[in-house]
Amino acid sequence: MDNENEFTGADILLKALKDQEVDTIFGYPGGAVLPIYDAIFGQNFLKHVLVRQEAGAVHAAEGYARSSGKVGVLLVTSGPGVTNVVTGLTDALMDSIPIVCISGQVPSHLIGTDAFQECDTTGITRPCTKHNYLVKDVSKLSETIHEAFKIASSGRPGPVLIDIPKDVQFAKSKYIPKKDIIFREHRIKAGSKKVDKNFVQELVNHIKKSERPIFYVGGGCLNSGPQASQELIKLVNKTNIPITTTLHGLGCFPGEDKSSLGMLGMHGNYEANLAMNKCDLMINVGARFDDRVTGRLDAFSPDSVKFHIDIDQSSINKNVKVDFHTNTDITMTLKEINSFIESNNIELEKKDYTNWWGLINDWRKKECLHYEQGEDIIKPQHAISRLYDLTTQKDTFITTEVGQHQMWAAQYYKFSKPNRWITSGGLGTMGFGMPAAVGAQMANPNSLVIDIAGEASFLMNIQEIATAVQYKLPIKIFILNNEYMGMVRQWQELLHGSRYSESYVDALPDFKKLAESFNAVGVRAKNISELDDAINEMVSIDRPVIADIWVDKKENCFPMIPSGAAHHEMLLSKYDKENPENQEKGKVLV
Amino acid sequence: MSSTSVYPTPINAFKQSKRSVLSIIVDNEPGILARIVGLFSGRGYNIEALNVTVVDIKNNLSRITIETLGEEKVISQIIAQLEKLVPVHSATNLANLSESYEAEICLVKIEFDNNEQDQKILNFADIYRSRTVQKRQNIVVYEISGTSERINKFLDDLNTIGGIKVELVRSGPIGLGI
Repeated sequence: MDNENEFTGADILLKALKDQEVDTIFGYPGGAVLPIYDAIFGQNFLKHVLVRQEAGAVHAAEGYARSSGKVGVLLVTSGPGVTNVVTGLTDALMDSIPIVCISGQVPSHLIGTDAFQECDTTGITRPCTKHNYLVKDVSKLSETIHEAFKIASSGRPGPVLIDIPKDVQFAKSKYIPKKDIIFREHRIKAGSKKVDKNFVQELVNHIKKSERPIFYVGGGCLNSGPQASQELIKLVNKTNIPITTTLHGLGCFPGEDKSSLGMLGMHGNYEANLAMNKCDLMINVGARFDDRVTGRLDAFSPDSVKFHIDIDQSSINKNVKVDFHTNTDITMTLKEINSFIESNNIELEKKDYTNWWGLINDWRKKECLHYEQGEDIIKPQHAISRLYDLTTQKDTFITTEVGQHQMWAAQYYKFSKPNRWITSGGLGTMGFGMPAAVGAQMANPNSLVIDIAGEASFLMNIQEIATAVQYKLPIKIFILNNEYMGMVRQWQELLHGSRYSESYVDALPDFKKLAESFNAVGVRAKNISELDDAINEMVSIDRPVIADIWVDKKENCFPMIPSGAAHHEMLLSKYDKENPENQEKGKVLV
Repeated sequence: MSSTSVYPTPINAFKQSKRSVLSIIVDNEPGILARIVGLFSGRGYNIEALNVTVVDIKNNLSRITIETLGEEKVISQIIAQLEKLVPVHSATNLANLSESYEAEICLVKIEFDNNEQDQKILNFADIYRSRTVQKRQNIVVYEISGTSERINKFLDDLNTIGGIKVELVRSGPIGLGI
């Protein structure tokens, strides 16, 4: 008997997506999701973006989520469809990006029979998702989807996967709207709702006492929402405390501001790393003491009292022991710190840390990001600097691939707002940037979206150019082409006696012709005199553009803290020699 | 410790890292055990013993008890990681409670050849107050319960008897805080 209050699993999924205000979904069809694709065919609230490989869908969903602050959604079929997204799910887990992945599964009665395109999806994705589900009963589907969105976006965000067998997509049940779902608190893990007043008081007391304080800000500040960034700016302006950000923290605080020391870590600024090393008070706002940031742990910021604000309890005392911590939302906590200072009329302005800023300004004089641009060959650093100068007046989003170009982008492109910088940090996924740009452009159709790429990374997901062309997404691929896997080559030069084993990318395509064959536009700059024109042309064309920028093949990314070295043991140029003892120890590290 | 022990104790490991018994309350749902076991193997933690059973049918809750080895810092990290898992209600290190009780159960089957061995076995069984489950002509099955340490000692003592064959099963420790 047909009941008009009952819907198929596929329809329930679409109703739930509508309820969750999802308007864009990235996906690729296949046998086990055909009922869902049939439901997509008959509706118009949801825009489906057909990618060319599932890896593209998951990175696009990440780019969409990072650039919009919303949950990114993707839809893939069983078996190879879902195994292709494993890298992207892991990427989203490492970088705390809220995405929901819907995967089809073979019909329930075939599960366990090694059916065509069957795989143990929940088993394979268990360690690379925040949570996952296999929905065997259609009556549980509504609740599961709503819980998945809640989990993906609460606390420390992350990827959630829902595996739906084909028979469940056909089976019928009632739809339960989001407003009728009562979430169980222990499953959502949203962190404490109350600010820890003791923490706030201790922090303000320490700020008053300290001589050399520093803010160390990470991606958690981004995930707490744009308000967190506003509170942070207010607090930094009020206290005159220098601030350094991690790779993911870029944009949480204006990069051009005088209080900003830029990025810290392995390829961070000299002044940022030295300040971390010499500070007496470290205020960690949503960063996780990653090995790329801390360098050698036993020499990490030896003299500081450490405060840590992080919604994720497992990030506290994991790599570095801290003196005070709070497991609360950053916006809420920073707001409380600001109002505590205001309401108690605490005079911090008088404490302008003159000596501390004097030290920092001396370190700044090293000009660690200095490079020599000659008259012919383009220096990659210069290419990014010009890209920044020529696009900074526009509403710009930057994505990147992974490698030297990514670090140069982090160093030379300055961000003044959060959510404008979309990069693969924790997992370091080559091939991330171009599909992420597709996602970012879908979320921000009127903005300029540029993928700063290396030629090797770009080749990893090059098929997604077709997606950009199909949906008329005018993304720009800005390739720093040095014909090498640059970062691999750099490590081989520094640690393996310049034996460039397999890091030269031979037989590269002609990127200009390649763009044309995809019905995109190709531009090229072979030397310095062509650079500005190429950038201006790229930006002015309202279509997908691949800009092939030929850069110095042997340029290395500095400053650099080699693996196994400490913050104060930075190499500033190729003329700096590494301590040989560190070099041997560092070789075995990543 | 004799190399013929059926229950060799990794003395060095014990010295460097503390033994902890973790008590975890979870939603009884498919995959929860795999999540927890995967967390341990994926992050390189040890599982010395593991026990899981439904303890609250009405609320659909299971209690998982895991014995693990690690420095205090590692144990705290394990607890924090466990508490991040969606179906986990709570994870407690029993050692951190002011009062907690532990028990384990062991079934041990002993095959012997002669009367002298039988007498020695009987003697140890009596000292440790183990319960006879079954006794045949040259085979005996005991049930012994108590702390894991007590069971270890019983098994060590049994192993001082030469020429017997021992087969056993242990539940792993379970514990409860007060």
